[in-house]
Amino acid sequence: MKTFANANARTPQDAARRSQQARAAGQLPVFAGGGTDVLQLVKDRIVSPDVIVNLKTIPNLNQVTRSAAGVSIGGQITLDALSRNDIIRKDYPVLAEAAASVATPQIRNVSTIAGNVAQRPWCWYYRNAFPCFKNGGNQCFSFAGENQFHAIFGGGPSYIVHPSDTAPALMALGATFRIMGPTGEKRIPAADFFVLPRQNAAAENVLANDDVLVSIDLPAVKAGSRGHYFKVMDRETWTHAVVSAAVVLEMDGDVCRTARVVLGGVAPIPWRLPDVEQMLAGQRITDDLAARASETAITGARALSKNAYKIPMTKGVVRRTLLQVAQQA
Amino acid sequence: MSQQNNAGVRSGVNQMKIIGQSTPRIDAAERVSGRATYTRDVYLDGMLFAHVLRSPHPHARIKSIDTSKARALPGVKAIVTHENCDYVWGAGSTAGGVQYSDDIKKITTQKRKAFNNPVRYAGEPVAAVAAVDRHVAEEAARLITVDYEVLPFVLNQEDALKPEAVKIWPEGNISPDARNQAQPTVQKRGNVEDGFKSADHVLEARYSTVMCHNAQMEPRSCVAHWEGDKLTVYTPTGGIANCHHDIARDLGIPDEKVRVICHYMGGNFGNKNQNQDADLITAVLAREAGAPVKLEFSRKDDFMGMHGRWPTVQYYKVGVKNDGTLTAIQLRTISNMGPYRKNNGGVSGIELYDVEHTESTLFPTYTNRTTSANFRGPSDPQGYYPIQSHMDDVAYAVKMDPVDFILKNMTKPNARTQFTNYTLDECIKRGAELFEWKKRWKPVPGSDKGPIKRGAGVAFMSFRAGVGSSSAVVTVDAKQQYTVYVGVTDVGPGAKTTMHMIGADELGVPLSQVKVVWGDTDTCPYSVGESGSRTTTMTGEAVIAAVRDLKKQIAEKGMPTGTAILKASATPNPRIQGKIRNCFGANFAEVEVDTELGSVKVVKFVAVHESGRIMNPLTATSQVKGGVAMGLGMALHENMIYDQRTGIPVVTGYYFDRVVTHMDAPDVEVEFIEADDGYGPYGAKGIGESGMITTPAAISNAVYNAIGRRIKDLPITRDKILGALA
Repeated sequence: MKTFANANARTPQDAARRSQQARAAGQLPVFAGGGTDVLQLVKDRIVSPDVIVNLKTIPNLNQVTRSAAGVSIGGQITLDALSRNDIIRKDYPVLAEAAASVATPQIRNVSTIAGNVAQRPWCWYYRNAFPCFKNGGNQCFSFAGENQFHAIFGGGPSYIVHPSDTAPALMALGATFRIMGPTGEKRIPAADFFVLPRQNAAAENVLANDDVLVSIDLPAVKAGSRGHYFKVMDRETWTHAVVSAAVVLEMDGDVCRTARVVLGGVAPIPWRLPDVEQMLAGQRITDDLAARASETAITGARALSKNAYKIPMTKGVVRRTLLQVAQQA
Repeated sequence: MSQQNNAGVRSGVNQMKIIGQSTPRIDAAERVSGRATYTRDVYLDGMLFAHVLRSPHPHARIKSIDTSKARALPGVKAIVTHENCDYVWGAGSTAGGVQYSDDIKKITTQKRKAFNNPVRYAGEPVAAVAAVDRHVAEEAARLITVDYEVLPFVLNQEDALKPEAVKIWPEGNISPDARNQAQPTVQKRGNVEDGFKSADHVLEARYSTVMCHNAQMEPRSCVAHWEGDKLTVYTPTGGIANCHHDIARDLGIPDEKVRVICHYMGGNFGNKNQNQDADLITAVLAREAGAPVKLEFSRKDDFMGMHGRWPTVQYYKVGVKNDGTLTAIQLRTISNMGPYRKNNGGVSGIELYDVEHTESTLFPTYTNRTTSANFRGPSDPQGYYPIQSHMDDVAYAVKMDPVDFILKNMTKPNARTQFTNYTLDECIKRGAELFEWKKRWKPVPGSDKGPIKRGAGVAFMSFRAGVGSSSAVVTVDAKQQYTVYVGVTDVGPGAKTTMHMIGADELGVPLSQVKVVWGDTDTCPYSVGESGSRTTTMTGEAVIAAVRDLKKQIAEKGMPTGTAILKASATPNPRIQGKIRNCFGANFAEVEVDTELGSVKVVKFVAVHESGRIMNPLTATSQVKGGVAMGLGMALHENMIYDQRTGIPVVTGYYFDRVVTHMDAPDVEVEFIEADDGYGPYGAKGIGESGMITTPAAISNAVYNAIGRRIKDLPITRDKILGALA
């Protein structure tokens, strides 16, 4: 790796400013929380920063706090702490399960929710330094190449899949992202946070240079809310989702009042299924409805040369996750 | 999960005091507490750090290399390229599948060097730098400018045999035999056409297997240090003696001018036999720089620069009569050796079946991929998976239970084939009983109703357990402390511990009275090298012979007094005349296939093996369990995938290779049938490769039994299962 300087941030504003100052001085800054993603990128020279701005030194950014509006999750909370947090486990189980499904215990012990949401893609072309869109190039090697794990929705011109497990859960929960930039704070709903490659093929989200993802706000849970995160991995642990589903249902007895269904592993962003959500609203979720919903889920899916299997797999994942949540006691 | 709980030993041998008792490894505490000094833990005064620049192209001629900018970087002490480091890496290739030796050296025309021009695979070393620290070395390597003439490349072995394919060597893409003849090798018995004529059914199929990387935990590393004209090399190797001789031969210096030290190593699986290019590169850098040099491969360097299992395409044609009697087996194998032939590229399997007419044709083929070579059962899992999958289909075709079909057709002792002992039938029958085969196997494959379907499969093995020469030295001092000197390093199965146990048991003293010295060519005698499941048998026999000699000396001269010691050495060279000595075993797997998600989960796994006398049930059981886990990775996940347009691998580490984790490893019920055939130390045979060899075939057959579709290409990934069911 290239030699770099470390800058310990004191506040989110301080972090944003230090990043901006480095950039102004012609240096490349990057942010690091747990650093599990950044360190590997730096070692592989995918990213060669001059300055790493350390977010771990910002006080009080590793808490889950209740407010009248819901909860606020500090961006620097580790995935392990998040998955064990009592409030999250009780009120937002879909997020606790998603956080617990990430990588390995060693990684969850240090990696943060902000880093998990903002991690770079795990496409093997990107990680092997091919000159692709994500590496400053102008093509996606997977399109005519090895695309076994690539997108079936929303692809083009890049076909990466969004790697985060927590992102689909946060989108299903209607999260809002609080972002600190050099000029101040922004609040962006999850639905607007992630960007498709056709908007910007080099990035996965709206975070601009020097923007820090500070915290994530979740609305208060409504009565009868239930959720589940189901993840298919390519071995029993330590892979990103081949296909996953975050499902949150608000139930009134055995009738589904509203539904949020968001897929992971299938698109360059967490992939929400509004048509499925609409089908479920006001209905009893029977085996038959779940089967029909899973058919609807794959409407518009387009396979590349080697990932057609993801389409039936998505169907299976949606059907099972809906039934799992509907049948929770 | 206790290692011992489910290890049964059905003993057919006399009981011994220490041998046969579950004994923890003598270095377990050092290893798990971090006190063990692996090569990367070696730090010498004034030591420099090295970095290798690798080719970004799968095939290119180097027109020029400009190292001036790199040399100008402060802290850079030496740079080597093909221009100033022109050494043949003997162990890096073979001639016709024959081990490189002084004789072969004279004959072979295709020599692999530490640095080659042209470069023939992406990741091939082009230059190496030694500098004051790792960062400077890496930075300097980036400052080296290489002018390449990019050449066409070929990755797939069947494409490489087409007339229009680029020739990787002037002689063509079929790797020549030991006489430099580039032609496929053919092994024949009888006449397969006669066999097919007498068959009621003839079944043909094409199978393929892929490159799995050895993926041993410790990537290649080396520390080299010259004191005058004597070279000391710290390197992870499965055989210090062979590594030592190879380094001396390759550098053109006398054997006694090289010392190889390996006290601890983190896994081998066939990837660290002999010397490596890393050893030569580090030694030359250290000589150029006049200082000790350490070279550490990254995981990516290790995946690209070291070897993996050879991918194969295998075309089988098998004849069978209605009563299940095999009449002929014909096989054509195209093995993908990469651009250097580091092993013969053959596949085993036909010898498992007793059939009159056989014909096997092998095309060891050059491609522009990372080199292929030894990996735990070099020719075996990728040989067993196709033939035992195909024979499973043959059994269904003649409506026979696969277990009955195997018992009918497997090679048994006969006029043609004599064994030192034979327990294969016992392994299979006992395995079927333990596994409850009749209950778990489905006469109609794919007959389970639900989306989750179960199925059972079996595969068996009959695998060499030869004897051979190795050396040992044993001493005793006046305090009656015994020391066993053996040239082992312990690649994982516990060789140090085994030699300790053999020494103590044969001496008739407790383990505490015996010390083992290992891993240093200046203090230890020749050992055969930890490959081919042969260290227990060969070096173990040497320990017994040395102890017997020492005991004779003690009987004659009495115990030493004062500072005197008694010393005995032995280099026995046992032979077996006219008989085959094999290990036997059968692995049974029950899987659950999720037909919606395409996943395969092993729900029951039984492994019954005969490996002669079981020296240490603890480590023997671990070997089988570890082998099964590794075989499962090969069956379901691992595949070193290349980008076809650029010829660059995209699977370059544990994450993308999907090497199995503890969470994936099934609970394996291991049972040993013990036997003493009168050969080897107290009848011991090998065990290191046994668990692995039959596992992919057993899983393949279980998946077929569950879903009624045959997956003919490894690994059996979700896309193939969902594709087969679509």
